[in-house]
Amino acid sequence: MTTIQLFLLITMMLLVLGIIASFVRMIKGPRLWDRILMLNLISAKVVLIIAIYAIYMDSLTLLDIAISYGIIGFLTMTLLSKFIMTGGREK
Amino acid sequence: MNVVAIIILILSWFFIIFGMVAIFSLKNMYARILSSTTIDTVASFLVLFALMFVSGSFIFIVRFIILIIFLLITNPISSHVNIRSAYLSGIPIKEEGESK
Repeated sequence: MTTIQLFLLITMMLLVLGIIASFVRMIKGPRLWDRILMLNLISAKVVLIIAIYAIYMDSLTLLDIAISYGIIGFLTMTLLSKFIMTGGREK
Repeated sequence: MNVVAIIILILSWFFIIFGMVAIFSLKNMYARILSSTTIDTVASFLVLFALMFVSGSFIFIVRFIILIIFLLITNPISSHVNIRSAYLSGIPIKEEGESK
């Protein structure tokens, strides 16, 4: 294992820790918008993990998967917020 | 090239850790959304910028530039949509029991 691979592994571990922290906040978040925000953060971190893993394994296909996963996460977040704003009022 | 990538990666760890702290320590919801999304955008930009130095070939760098532009545009937009949805649904900006 070279030095740069070790640093990539440490970055991936930190990102997984961030995902776990976001998940804890998602479970105990007091409002609905906290949970949607955590969904956004988790999708951004998953995109980063897939991109780092693509460099780690030296494969080009995983990078395309990362780009398409980013598009899916953005659409999920935006459409869910729009749906809640128009249809699911708190009162 | 690898030394530059390692320095930028170490710089990005701080932003990831600060993002984890900002989720738990802030009490107001709007402050939480604003700070965590901004810190997360900078962290993702730094990580992808470091990966651009690691991969030498051209076809990887094109993908990374596409991914960086996409994340830099869509991450603040989704935060804005989230805050707008919360504000239009009637959540007050200052909570009642808050002293700050």
